Amino acid sequence: MRGVPAKPEAEQALKTAHRLAWISIAYMFSTIAMLFFVMSGSQALKTEMTGEFLSLIPPVLFLVGDRFTRREPNERYPYGYERAVSAGFIGAAVALLGVGAFLLFDGAMKLVAREHPTIGGFELFGHTIWTGWLGIAVLVWSGLPAFFIGRAKRRVAEILHDKTLAADAEINAADWQSASAAVVGLIGVALGFWWADALAAVLISGEIIRSGWAELRSALGDIADRKPQAILSKEDEPVPELLTQFLREQPWVDDVIVRVRERGREFTADAHVVPATEKGLVDAITETARHARKIDPRLADIVIAPVRKFPPDVEKARTPS
Amino acid sequence: MSVVPRVLVLPILFSLLAACGLPRDPEKTSDRIASTHDLRVGVSDSPPWTVSRGGQPSGAEPDLVRGFAEQIGAHVVWRRGSESNLIRALEEHQLDLVIGGFDKKTQWSATAGLSQPFAKDADGKQHVLLAAPGENRLILSLDRFLAEQKRQPS
Repeated sequence: MRGVPAKPEAEQALKTAHRLAWISIAYMFSTIAMLFFVMSGSQALKTEMTGEFLSLIPPVLFLVGDRFTRREPNERYPYGYERAVSAGFIGAAVALLGVGAFLLFDGAMKLVAREHPTIGGFELFGHTIWTGWLGIAVLVWSGLPAFFIGRAKRRVAEILHDKTLAADAEINAADWQSASAAVVGLIGVALGFWWADALAAVLISGEIIRSGWAELRSALGDIADRKPQAILSKEDEPVPELLTQFLREQPWVDDVIVRVRERGREFTADAHVVPATEKGLVDAITETARHARKIDPRLADIVIAPVRKFPPDVEKARTPS
Repeated sequence: MSVVPRVLVLPILFSLLAACGLPRDPEKTSDRIASTHDLRVGVSDSPPWTVSRGGQPSGAEPDLVRGFAEQIGAHVVWRRGSESNLIRALEEHQLDLVIGGFDKKTQWSATAGLSQPFAKDADGKQHVLLAAPGENRLILSLDRFLAEQKRQPS
């Protein structure tokens, strides 16, 4: 299938990813509706909504990006549309960073202004109950599944090498963390500590900002054609080294410089090769490229260019950063 | 009929929590009222809701405040003043409530605590009382009182 790594489990993973994205969207709308219903007049619960709205962005970006990335190349887009996933990744990373920054800013402002969150009564089945208890119920409703949905997304993100989905999983992690912080905050407010809500938000924002920043750096690096990185650990992928090794072992190859970049879910490699012999070169290149693709299912495209001498810019690819 | 108990599970749970005295007031307004029996109310003239000229304040809002004070076993200490002065006093916890024809969209919604709406006027504005910000126990008792009034208008 186009636009997904050539793994047997990829097709199933893509279906799962779609289902998870739709579940997330439906779930967040239900949470937003409940918060809207519950928070009438309560400023304190209003901030929860902003996080929920930001969390809607990544699953939408995933669904849109997935539609584009699998399109066939054409005259206008000769390389295909794989970068749609990279673009979605940037959006998702910014959304994640936004959630963290918002929590920090909003919480810090409340602490500085010594704002006492006002949470009054709510009419339910003819009883007036404290809105804070309802708020906790809504937060548990929104936070608990986010934990499991996020974990499931991480698994499929790794199979598909889809970073939009990985950032989306991070947002789900941010969701359940900030929801737990808000529950603790509301319990604190119930106990008469006006600062509990804001402090909990500030404390949790650090981790979310850190992860948002890491994702954004990774997303910008992808656009700049940095060497491929593993999707969750953000460590360098071994693919460039494996490919170099493989090409060096070919009898017709004298020297080689391999450059691999990520294009959405897939890798594209170009290899400049100084051949040892020019006899049967075309066949040798064709055969070698065919075998090299088996090194990693994400290697969708390998261009092998024979040269007498490496071009100066290509040679710089060997310079340590 | 078997549905009814299930519907009541949450209200019962929340009543239990309330019985533990939660939520509490960060500035302990309810405790203070319970010991001094003073409910300090700021009054800003806004006929017909609140008429503060002359002797005792009159109108729908002062009547509600008197009813509420009676329910929590307090007597009302009125204080007249300009809206902004009263709001500042409310913010600094020198007042417990402020009345003066405020509605849900009042410009003070971020600085003061809003009660649940107790009436809707001809323009569809939802009228509220203002309470000391964050004094959630006081506001919850006020909301309970207002809900009772709505159910059985006097």
